[in-house]
Amino acid sequence: MTSSARCKTDRIYAEQAEKLPPCRTGCPGGADVRGWIGVIAQREKSGLPADEAYRRAWEIIVDRNPFPSVMGRICPHPCEDGCNRVDKDGAVSINAMERFIGDWAIERAWALPVMDEGPQAESIGVIGAGPAGLSFAYQMARRGYSVHVYEASDTPGGMLRHGIPAYRLPEDILAAEIARIVAVGVELHLASRIGGDLSLAKLRERHDALFLGIGAQRARRLGIPGEDGPGVWTGTEYLGRKKNGQPIDLGRKVAVIGGGNTAIDAARSARRDGAEVVLVYRRSRDEMPAADHEIEDALVEKVGIECLAAPVEIRRNDGHVRTLIVQKMELGELDASGRRRPVPIGGKQTEMEVDSVITAVSQEPEWDRLDQEAPDGARMESRLWAGGDALGLGTASIAIAQGRLAAETMQAELRGLPAPQPLSDHTVQTGQVKLDYYDGQERVQRAHIPTAQWLSQPDMEVDRTITREAFEGEAGRCLSCGLCFGCQQCWMYCNPSGYTRLETVGPGMYFSFDPEKCEGCGKCIEICPSGYLAPSE
Amino acid sequence: MSILDADDGGDLAGALAALQSDEEGELSLHDGSRVAVIGGGPAGSLFSYFLLQMAENVGLEIEINIFEPRHFTHRGAAGCNHCGGVVSESLVQTLAAEGVNLPPKVVQRGIECYALNQDVGTVEIATPLNEKRIAAVYRGNGPRQSEPLEFIGFDRYVQDLAEQKGARIVRKLVSGLQRLGGGIRVLCPDGSGGDFDLAVVATGVNSHFLEGVDGLEIGYSGPETRKAFLCEFPLGRKEIENRLGAALQIFLLDMPGLKFAGLIPKGDLATMCVIGENIDEQLIEAFLEAPEVKRCFPDGSVPPHICHCFPRVNTRSAVKPFADRIVMIGDTGTTRLYKDGIGGAYRTAKAAARTVMFSGISEDDFRQHYWPTCEKIESDNNIGRFLFAVTRQVQKWRFLRRAVLNMTAAEQRRATGPRRMSSVLWDVFTGSAPYKEVLLNTFHPAYVATLTWHIMLSLVIGVFSFGSRGQR
Ligand SMILES: Cc1cc2nc3c(=O)[nH]c(=O)nc-3n(C[C@H](O)[C@H](O)[C@H](O)COP(=O)(O)OP(=O)(O)OC[C@H]3O[C@@H](n4cnc5c(N)ncnc54)[C@H](O)[C@@H]3O)c2cc1C
Ligand SMILES: Cc1cc2nc3c(=O)[nH]c(=O)nc-3n(C[C@H](O)[C@H](O)[C@H](O)COP(=O)(O)OP(=O)(O)OC[C@H]3O[C@@H](n4cnc5c(N)ncnc54)[C@H](O)[C@@H]3O)c2cc1C
Ligand code: SF4
Ligand code: SF4
Repeated sequence: MTSSARCKTDRIYAEQAEKLPPCRTGCPGGADVRGWIGVIAQREKSGLPADEAYRRAWEIIVDRNPFPSVMGRICPHPCEDGCNRVDKDGAVSINAMERFIGDWAIERAWALPVMDEGPQAESIGVIGAGPAGLSFAYQMARRGYSVHVYEASDTPGGMLRHGIPAYRLPEDILAAEIARIVAVGVELHLASRIGGDLSLAKLRERHDALFLGIGAQRARRLGIPGEDGPGVWTGTEYLGRKKNGQPIDLGRKVAVIGGGNTAIDAARSARRDGAEVVLVYRRSRDEMPAADHEIEDALVEKVGIECLAAPVEIRRNDGHVRTLIVQKMELGELDASGRRRPVPIGGKQTEMEVDSVITAVSQEPEWDRLDQEAPDGARMESRLWAGGDALGLGTASIAIAQGRLAAETMQAELRGLPAPQPLSDHTVQTGQVKLDYYDGQERVQRAHIPTAQWLSQPDMEVDRTITREAFEGEAGRCLSCGLCFGCQQCWMYCNPSGYTRLETVGPGMYFSFDPEKCEGCGKCIEICPSGYLAPSE
Repeated sequence: MSILDADDGGDLAGALAALQSDEEGELSLHDGSRVAVIGGGPAGSLFSYFLLQMAENVGLEIEINIFEPRHFTHRGAAGCNHCGGVVSESLVQTLAAEGVNLPPKVVQRGIECYALNQDVGTVEIATPLNEKRIAAVYRGNGPRQSEPLEFIGFDRYVQDLAEQKGARIVRKLVSGLQRLGGGIRVLCPDGSGGDFDLAVVATGVNSHFLEGVDGLEIGYSGPETRKAFLCEFPLGRKEIENRLGAALQIFLLDMPGLKFAGLIPKGDLATMCVIGENIDEQLIEAFLEAPEVKRCFPDGSVPPHICHCFPRVNTRSAVKPFADRIVMIGDTGTTRLYKDGIGGAYRTAKAAARTVMFSGISEDDFRQHYWPTCEKIESDNNIGRFLFAVTRQVQKWRFLRRAVLNMTAAEQRRATGPRRMSSVLWDVFTGSAPYKEVLLNTFHPAYVATLTWHIMLSLVIGVFSFGSRGQR
C-alpha cells in the first residue's frame, strides 16, 4: 500500500490505545479502579477462579492504598462523580465495592504484598501515625527499608482513630488494616512526641531520611468573646475524648459551629449523646464542605441546620454557657475560594439558648512544636518530606496519596532511579464510550441498618457492607472505559483479519493488532464500546 | 473461545449418546421450541419474519432470538452491512407480495435507468416497460460524516418487522456454538447466550464467525469470497439530480483486476461500488482517476469520499450449509453472484423457514427441502460466471465495446420494438432475472444477427476513425 494512496482518501487507521478512565483521574490517589474491577468482572473470560480474582483485585488496590476497608467507608469517593456510567443508570458503586473487598481481605487475614527489592541499608523515620505517615511507612517498608514511626498518641491512626466516630468507622476495621502495615516490618513507637526531649534534629541524626505526617492537630479559634472557658469545646477535642473513653457532658442543647466533616461528625455524635443539636454555618447549605450524604444523614438524625448565621458571642450565666448570639448573613461577591462571601445583614442578630458550644471551623498543623517553619511543598529537603493534612487540610485519600508519592520519589532519589512519572492525562469522555452497547442495570442500593437504630445504637456502624452478589453485579456494571474487555467485535468484524486472539487473556489483553493489515475503514473504532481503539496519529 | 470448547471434550461421548437417542421425530419444532438466529441482517431478519408468520398460521408457539450486536443506528461502517443498496424490482415486488412493503423512508431514491459508461461512450438504458423502479437503500444509518437522515436503513427496517412479528432482538455478538445432547448452545463473550433447539447462522461473510464453525465438525465449509470496495460521495441532492438523476451509472472499463463498478445515486450522496478480482488501494486510485469515472462528477473531478469499506462479496456457494439443528442462510449459505444478494438472502431465508416449519430440522430435512434452493441459485451463478467471462472479453476489445454500445443506443433511440441488448445488460446488472434467462435471450436469432451487424459496423468504424471518442 503506497502512502500516496493512503493520504488521498478518508482512511482511518486503527490503533490500540489505552486511556485513563475518569474514575482514576477523579481519585486523588489515582487508584486503578478500572484495573481491579476488571479483574473481577472479567474473571471468567480470563479463566480465574473467583478467590484468585478477588485476591488479585485487592492486591491492585493495596499497591497504592493499604486501607481499602477504611476508605471503602469514609472516602467521599470523587472517583464516582466522573464515572461514565452516570449518564446511563448511575455511577458504578466503586466505594461500596472497595469496602466489600477490603472486608473480604480482613476476614481472610491476607498479608500486604512486599516487593522483592530489599533489604536496603537506609533507616527511615516517620513522624505521625496518621494515614499519611502510615502510607509512607508501608511503601518504604515493602521496598525493604527499615522504618520507624513516632506517634505522640498511644494509639496509631491519626484522625481516623481520634476524629472519625465509630458509627462511620469501627475501630476493629482500622486496627486490622494498621496491624497489616506493621506486619510488613514497620516499627511503631507510640506515645513518642517529637519536639521537646526527642527533637527533630535528633531524629535527623538517627535516620537517613524523614517523613513528616503530623497532620493538623490545632483547632482554629473563632475569635469571639466567651470562646474560652467551660462549656466550649473544639470538635476534635470532643470527638477524641468520646472515642478514648473520656466523654464530655454537653448538656441538653448544643450548638455546633462549622460546616465541614468535623462539624457534622460532632453534631451527629452529640445527637447520640442525647442532646438537641443545631449546626450553625455562615454560608448556605450548597457551600457546606461536608460530603452531601453526611449532611443528609445528619438531617435524618434530626440535626437542626442554621445556615447563613455567624456566631458573634458566647454568654455565660453562673459559669455555665447559656446563650449564643448569632449574626444573620447573606451571600455577597465571590471570594478567593470561588464561593460567595457571607456578609452580615445590618442589625439582624438572634439569640440561641444553648448549654454548650462545639467549634469546628478548621485545624492547622503545629509546626512550631517541631521548631520548624511551615514548608511550602512536600519536598522540604532532599531527604525530608512532608505530606497529608500537615500541608493543608484534605482527606484521608489525599494523605495516603501524598505518603505514597513521597515514598516513590524518595526511593528513586536514594537508589538513583528516574523520578516516578505522573499519570498521563488522556481521559475517556462519555462520548467515546458507547453506552448503548452495555446492558442496563441499576446501581446497587446503599446498605444500612434501619434508621430507627441509628441513634438508639450509638456505636453501631450505620452502613453495611454490600453482599457478594451485589459486589459482583457492580463489577459487571463497569464499562472498562478506555481499555479492552474482550467484547470481540473488532476481531469479528475486521475484514482483513487485523486482530489476532491472544493465548492468555485478561483485562486489556485479548487481541493483538497488526496495523499493516488495516484497511482503514474505521469500523472497529466505531464499534469499540470502551473507547480503547482510536485512530492512529 | 473456540466454537467447541476444549473442556467440552470430556462430555462429547455423552453428548453423542444423547444425540443418537434423539429420535427422528424430535428433530422438528414443537410448541415452546427455541430458535437462535445468529445475525440480524436481511437473511436473519427475513427468516425470523417468515418462520413466525408460518408458525402463527399453523398455531405453533415458538420463540425466536435474533442475536445481533449492531444497532443499525450508528452512522458509518460500524452500523452498516456494506453493500450497494440496490434492491431489484423483482425483489421489491416479491417482498411486497409477502407483505414487506418498502416504505418511502427506506427507499433513498427510485432508480429509473442505467447509464453504461465505457471508454467508447455512454448510453442510457431505461427501465424495461411494466417494471417497478429499482429501490436504492442504505443498509445502515448512512455514511460516517453525513447529515442525519430521516430515512431508515433497510436492515433496520426488516429487523423491526421481525421484532413486530414477535422475534426477540438480543444485542449481543455470538462467539461460538456448541452442540449439546438435543440442542445447540449459543455462546456470547460476556458469558450469556442460551440453549436452543435450532441455530440459524446468518452472519454474512463480513464477520469471522464462520471460522469457528469448523470446530462443530459438520462438514460445512464457508463460501468463497473476494474483496470489494464501497465509498460514499457527498454530492448534494441538487447536484445528484442534475448530473445523475435517477440513473445508476455502470462502468465497464478495461482495467486489470476490475470486473465492473457502479455509482448509485441516493438522497444527498452517491455510493460507488467496485467489484473485481484484485481490489486494492492502487486499483481504486487508478479507477477513480479514469476519465469515464471522472466525467460523471461535477467539474469532471472525483471529490473526496466520506466513508468507505472493503467488504467481502460471495463468489462461490458454501459446502453443505446445514446439519442437524443447524442451517446457514444468506451469504453464509448461497447467494446470487455479484448482484441481488438481498434477493439471495430472501430466497434462502424463505426456503429454510419453510423446511424448518413443514419438514423438520434434521440434516436430511435440510438436504431434501432446503439445499435444492441453494443448488438452483448456484447453477444459475455458473451461467453468470460464463456471462461475466464474455463481458470481460467485451471489455477487452474496443470494437466489441463499441458494438454493444451502438446496439444499445440504437435500441434506446427507437420508440418501439424489442430492446434485446438493453434487456440483456439490464438483467446482468440489476439482478432482475436469473442469469439463465439472460443467456437464453442472447441466443435469440434476432439478437445474434443485430449484434453481428453492429460488430462489423464497429470494426469498420474502428479502422477508419482511429482514436476518435465515442458519442455521449
Ligand atoms: C472529625 C473528622 C472527620 C473526618 N472525616 C473524614 C472523612 O470522612 N473522609 C476523609 O477522607 N477524611 C476525613 N477527615 C480528614 C482526615 O481524617 C485527614 O485528612 C487525615 O486523617 C489526614 O491524615 P494525616 O496523616 O495527614 O494526619 P492525621 O490523621 O492528623 O495524623 C497525624 C498524626 O501525627 C501525630 N503527630 C502530630 N504531631 C506529632 C509529633 N510532633 N510527634 C509525633 N506524632 C505527632 C498525631 O498524633 C496524629 O496521629 C476527617 C477529619 C476529622 C477531624
Ligand atoms: C460491495 C458489495 C456490494 C453489494 N451490493 C449489493 C446490492 O446492491 N444489492 C444487493 O441486493 N446485494 C448487494 N450485495 C450483497 C449483499 O450485501 C449481501 O448478499 C447481503 O447483505 C447478505 O445478507 P445476510 O443477511 O446474509 O448477511 P449480512 O447482510 O452480512 O448480515 C449479517 C449480520 O450478521 C451479524 N453478525 C455477524 N457476525 C455475528 C456474530 N458473531 N454474532 C451475531 N451477529 C453477527 C452482522 O452484524 C450482520 O448484521 C453487495 C455486497 C458487496 C460486498
Ligand atoms: S465505568 Fe468503570 S472505568 Fe468507567 S469511570 Fe466508571 S468505574 Fe471507571
Ligand atoms: S476494522 Fe480492521 S480494517 Fe477496519 S479500521 Fe479496524 S483494524 Fe482497520
